[in-house]
Amino acid sequence: MALEIRSVVAGYTREVQILNGMSVSAADGKVTLLLGPNGAGKSTLLKTIYGYLSPEAGEILNDGKSLVGLKPKDMLREGIAYLIQGHSVFIRMTVEENLELGGWIMRNDKARMKDAFERLYARYPRLKEKRRLAAGVLSGGEQRMLEIARLTMTGPKTLLLDEPSVGLMPKLVDEVYEEIARLKEERYTILIVDQNVKKAIGIADYVYALALGENRYEGPRDEIAQRLDEIVKEWI
Amino acid sequence: MDYSLLLEPAILSEVLVLGLERGAMYALMASGLSLIFGIMGVKNFSHGELFMLGGYVMFYVTMVLDLPWPIGVAAAALVLLVVGMLIERTLIETLRRRAGRDWQLDAFVLTIGMLVIMQNLALIFFGTERRGVSDLIEGTFVLGPLLVSYERLMIVGVAAAAGLALWAFIRFTSLGKAIRAASQDPHAAQTLGIDIQRIYTVSFGIGAALAGLAGGLLISIYPAHPTVGFQPVIKSIACVILGGLGYVPGAIIAAMLLGIIEAYATFFMSGGWQNVMTPALVVLILIFRPSGLFSSSKVDRA
Amino acid sequence: MTTDTSVNRETKAIAGFLRSTPARVIKVAVLLAILLFVPPLIDNPYVTRIFISAMMLGVMAAIYDLMIGYAGLVNFGYAGFIAVGAYTSALGEFHYGISPWLGLFFGGVLSAFLGFLLGVITLRLRGLYVALMTFFVGEAIRFSISNTPEFTRGMLGLSVAPFPDVFGIDFGRSNLYAYYYLLLVLTAVIMGFMWWLVKSRYGLAFEALREDQLATQSLGLNTTKYKLYNFTIASFLAGVMGAFYAHYLGILSPSPEEFGVYRTVEILSITYIGGRGTLWGSLFSGFLLIGFQEYFRGIGPWRLVIFGALLVFVMLFARRGLAGLKKYLW
Repeated sequence: MALEIRSVVAGYTREVQILNGMSVSAADGKVTLLLGPNGAGKSTLLKTIYGYLSPEAGEILNDGKSLVGLKPKDMLREGIAYLIQGHSVFIRMTVEENLELGGWIMRNDKARMKDAFERLYARYPRLKEKRRLAAGVLSGGEQRMLEIARLTMTGPKTLLLDEPSVGLMPKLVDEVYEEIARLKEERYTILIVDQNVKKAIGIADYVYALALGENRYEGPRDEIAQRLDEIVKEWI
Repeated sequence: MDYSLLLEPAILSEVLVLGLERGAMYALMASGLSLIFGIMGVKNFSHGELFMLGGYVMFYVTMVLDLPWPIGVAAAALVLLVVGMLIERTLIETLRRRAGRDWQLDAFVLTIGMLVIMQNLALIFFGTERRGVSDLIEGTFVLGPLLVSYERLMIVGVAAAAGLALWAFIRFTSLGKAIRAASQDPHAAQTLGIDIQRIYTVSFGIGAALAGLAGGLLISIYPAHPTVGFQPVIKSIACVILGGLGYVPGAIIAAMLLGIIEAYATFFMSGGWQNVMTPALVVLILIFRPSGLFSSSKVDRA
Repeated sequence: MTTDTSVNRETKAIAGFLRSTPARVIKVAVLLAILLFVPPLIDNPYVTRIFISAMMLGVMAAIYDLMIGYAGLVNFGYAGFIAVGAYTSALGEFHYGISPWLGLFFGGVLSAFLGFLLGVITLRLRGLYVALMTFFVGEAIRFSISNTPEFTRGMLGLSVAPFPDVFGIDFGRSNLYAYYYLLLVLTAVIMGFMWWLVKSRYGLAFEALREDQLATQSLGLNTTKYKLYNFTIASFLAGVMGAFYAHYLGILSPSPEEFGVYRTVEILSITYIGGRGTLWGSLFSGFLLIGFQEYFRGIGPWRLVIFGALLVFVMLFARRGLAGLKKYLW
């Protein structure tokens, strides 16, 4: 079982569809990478999976259950968490409050909430140290860690990551990818989009190369990695 | 103008209490407006009519049903909470679904339509008569040369308590935290499973409840009549701008300041020039510090 | 069956004819004829006054539409701009003996100057700031008028001279037709000018402004500059209409109903109900709404409730306003 996107057509207006029958499958416990030039529809695909856009045609199945028609607010309950592009911490709230909001859907389950905090604070000691500080005073790298930690509060099965390393210094990019590698070890199903192709392909299991809302190439990591230069050249 | 009055501590302090009272009203109105603006980006121009409705509820409960005033004030807040949530759920939500990208500006115009409707319905059903309730509490507090009626103290006290309750709600409850999150980054809040639609409804309801509370609480000074909300809404919009659009603590500080300044201005300035003072102040602020006096956030420029 | 189709064909033929160019010419001619001849034919001062109010507010609403419908600018202190035009011309005559004919122009110029200044300050800000800023400027203008009774007579009311006679036409207050036809000429000139403006390359830029600010900017259009043009021109026209209003009405006072929020709301409602971005819709809706208001004077405040409900309805369900009905009529 997995997250399956089959022949999805979607866009912001009826006249202009960004996704023209795209099919992607994210296998359980694996990292699936989406490559492609700007406008290929990578981010749009993530948005469509998460319910921001409703597909005109095609299917989106999560372990066999259709996600079409669900709203973004329903997705965490389906076990899918989404890291949106750019900054998304609530800068005027404390680190702890940010994490608490990550557990919004289980806010009435005190025991589960407590467990989640213990688990995350054990794993991210730096966030524990700074838990009473406003998230806005954290460094860029720490904010990104907080975002990732917040994603896993409710223990989702699948993570959608949209450009997790964009706008970060090279040293921090390494940190973010170490973190993603750890998540992979913990058997999260990860669907990732990133401009940093070299880094991303390093942790991927399976890769899709997309162009103009359609599938172009796909294959296991090693196969695509060999042809990477050729694929990237096509974008220019 | 008699400047020697400036040296009279009894008069100065009495005017100060008048100012605090006025400021308390502006603060109740402005904090609701600012809350709604901060979260939805909607400027509710019919906020004064919610104030008016609060006054009528208060009048009905205390004078017709003959119940004690605290119940009247509570009823005003509660009824308006429901009215506000209904307005959001029906009218504003429909607009948001239909108007698309620029719905906030359209929502402003929508609230103007609501203002016209509510004001004239009040005129039809209640007439132009001023329905006040006098002497909620009797007696005067005396301390040396200082004379302050208990009612004034009560009004300032209840407003402060309401402000504190709002603060505690926003600060400590999970719904309050979700409201703050939604106002800082609605997109991110949504990905965490927060239902933005519900946040909008609740926030609009709270804003309306605060206006209703103000209308009920101040009925002895502003007796309910169809156009009673006009001055309060203009002044509280001014406070929202002065405090920084959408920044609730700023709006409250601005409201208290404006109330006190106005009280002294009315007392010491002749003619109607204190009426020009508020708009002129707002225009100056909008020119030189569009983000408000107390907010550090940047203004969204076109 | 056969009769059915033939009826169908007939209606289609009629519909087709109604849309053809000759039909349009006829329709314009009929409308013009109504405007030209109906008031003198009915010859009832009450009806003529309603025609004047309706056209006056209709044109004011069309000017409002130039801002909101073509550049997305909400001027929420619009009545203040009309007040500037009205008081400039009235006070110019009263204190300095300037002819009201020149007053029409000076009223426009002063209002345009105000609009330009305000535009420079606010138009780089987001839409809502423009609404708030203009609102408070409008209020400041109104209070300034009411606070200077030595000069403006404030709330006591300023009595304004009628237009002086020209070309042997009597512009005494009792000669309503002179005012009616003067207004008709003003309307034709203003509407024609605005129509030309929105069809010109400026108009295309305005439309782009409304549609999508980001796209416009990336196309290299200076959005602020075009907004400033739009705002200044609209302010000028509003000032001219204000000056006409002053000399027609004969008495001015800075009350909220006349030059405050209520007047702005009235005009804004006419524009929105008429349909934004059409100009003609506002004029049409002016006649409809003012006629409606007059006709239903008997039901008192209910007509304002209906007015408000109509605005809410248009905002929610008929977002193109009356202009959305155009395909059935034009």
